[in-house]
Amino acid sequence: MATGSPNYKIILCGEYGVGKSSIFRRFMNNSFLEETGKKSTIGLDQATQMFRAHGTEVKLTLWDTGGMERMSFIGSSYYRGANAALLCYSMRNKDSFTILSQYILDIVMNAEGAKIFLCGNFADCTGENCVTKANIESFERECGDVLSGNYQISCKDNTGLNDMFSDIARVLHQDAVNKMTLRKDMIVRPGISPEAEPAHKRKCCSE
Amino acid sequence: MDEEYDAVVLGTGLKECILSGMLSVSGRKVLHMDRNNYYGGESASITPLQDLYDKFKMGKAPESMGRGRDWNVDLIPKFLMANGKLVDLLIHTGVTKYLEFKSVEGSYVYKGGKIHKVPADEKEALSSSLMGLFEKRRFRKFLMFCQEFSLDDPKTWEGVDAKMTTAQELYDKFSLDQNTADFTGHAIALYLNDEYKNQPCGEFIERVKLYSGSLARYGKSPYLYPLYGLGELPQGFARLSAIYGGTYMLDKKEPKIVFDGDKLLGVESDGEVAKCKMVVCDPSYAPDKCKKTGQVIRIICILNHPIPHTNDSLSSQIIIPQNQVNRKHDIYVGCVSYAHNVAAKNFFLAIVSTHVETDNPEREVQVALDLLGPIEQKFVTVSDLYQPIDNGKQNKVYISSSYDATSHFETTCLDVLKIYEIIDGKPFDFSKIKKTEDDM
Ligand SMILES: Nc1nc2c(ncn2[C@@H]2O[C@H](COP(=O)(O)OP(=O)(O)O)[C@@H](O)[C@H]2O)c(=O)[nH]1
Ligand SMILES: [Mg+2]
Repeated sequence: MATGSPNYKIILCGEYGVGKSSIFRRFMNNSFLEETGKKSTIGLDQATQMFRAHGTEVKLTLWDTGGMERMSFIGSSYYRGANAALLCYSMRNKDSFTILSQYILDIVMNAEGAKIFLCGNFADCTGENCVTKANIESFERECGDVLSGNYQISCKDNTGLNDMFSDIARVLHQDAVNKMTLRKDMIVRPGISPEAEPAHKRKCCSE
Repeated sequence: MDEEYDAVVLGTGLKECILSGMLSVSGRKVLHMDRNNYYGGESASITPLQDLYDKFKMGKAPESMGRGRDWNVDLIPKFLMANGKLVDLLIHTGVTKYLEFKSVEGSYVYKGGKIHKVPADEKEALSSSLMGLFEKRRFRKFLMFCQEFSLDDPKTWEGVDAKMTTAQELYDKFSLDQNTADFTGHAIALYLNDEYKNQPCGEFIERVKLYSGSLARYGKSPYLYPLYGLGELPQGFARLSAIYGGTYMLDKKEPKIVFDGDKLLGVESDGEVAKCKMVVCDPSYAPDKCKKTGQVIRIICILNHPIPHTNDSLSSQIIIPQNQVNRKHDIYVGCVSYAHNVAAKNFFLAIVSTHVETDNPEREVQVALDLLGPIEQKFVTVSDLYQPIDNGKQNKVYISSSYDATSHFETTCLDVLKIYEIIDGKPFDFSKIKKTEDDM
């Protein structure tokens, strides 16, 4: 990596229409599109932003799905090397919430070690079929320590997004730093030949 | 499905995915379908390991082979030339961003019952075990001539006319013997047979330059290989297509191309018809429009050690030139390992392949299997090669050819670019792709 700041890959996961591309747009250039359907997804690939975490500048690179989930599956290659998955659902659509355990399975299978963050979008909406606080709490209990964070946002009103990404940057960076010190510990332990790379290759980032 | 498309692409093999990407990028409305529930067709990397055992009806994968999910086994082995056409396509389309590559550690050639490192720069030529002392010097001169050669600069020609002088005459000019010609033509210029010797040497020189240029990029060999296997490549191009608006549907029941008389209507699946102006597909979706041109044998071998005499390389290629074993086609061995996230820790995958010449193809490649040392498990496939009977212009069904036995993607890309040119009437315009910011 040219600039030396650690770079963390985050993938967007979740049903078609829950607002993944909208989250991406807010992240990329703080814009919002009312348009629905394919139009709101086309052209979005990946985008990078800087955040401060524990006094360090870190980069987050967010990946959109390309809309492949609309009629098909997302291939395994999307997940490769992801440090985090943003597991998205729509607060006004319970089905998009109940299906999340399947997405967790995909993430665990294809992006080993990625931290999973739960993200309820459409927080501006209220109505009958909405996901309740109780729903979310019981899902969190079920998941145990699989989830590293839980946020509610609205892309339309632009609420919660900044805090969410700053928080994710902090969690990811802290994790990377911990892993590094862990590895250091292993290296100094006498009598054990560590499987670690030479010292100059050790960096606090994952790439 | 009941929308109308400019193109329906059938099969998500590498060629179809590149074409799908190119069509979407050039503004066409594309629907891309596959009968399987995974991307890649024949160019997929099989995972977990049990799926490979199931595919070959070999029972249960042994526990000793580690975690099944750590395996991503290619069915068709190939490497990318660092300066080759696929890398060009990857860079121009931005698909490189989705993948990570490692350089292949060694490139070897078989001569007199043993394997030797392919010398490709002047320094290596002088220390090579392939040639005697005087031949080394002559070969070095030949390499330097090729590297300097430029069509635009007559001063570099030294009496060689790229359009008239044959490759054999070029060998003769440098007094290179048959052995040197064997490894130069097959392991460096990567010719499939010896016909090139009687052709004008322009292309031959270009190929030698491609090899040396590719080698110079990373040092150890001219080849690259993507982490997690070749199956990542079609997925990368599928993502490109999707980002430019292509729609993906996997797991479609028997997609069938339908006509009204001679006129293409569309593609039918599950009783629905997607109307379209053209179809792009692999031979398996249009068998009646293809002819068989031969067979390829591929043997996937699981090893728990590197290939002997390759300097413990975690990845390597061995080419066995046809003349060395009295054949008409070269035999290829490609080896990758856990270092590329395609096998469990400490395991290697070596794939032997060649064009079939007899009715006992396994015996044909025994010489290659003998180079591998102890083999934990073999998976043998003999597959038919198909080619479309026409170029598709007439009925708007453009069909790719089956993947050949070559060890790299150059012929794959040529086929793709040729099909695109037939569709569009002109070569693909790379400048159409809006380059995203290079954020790496
Ligand atoms: N009211 C409301 N609409 C939203 C919100 N986020 C996204 N949308 C709309 O939901 C639709 C689908 O969003 P999109 O980002 O394309 O979903 P994707 O399929 O997951 O990428 C679009 O029409 C958006 O304008 C939100 O927070 N509130
Ligand atoms: Mg989207």
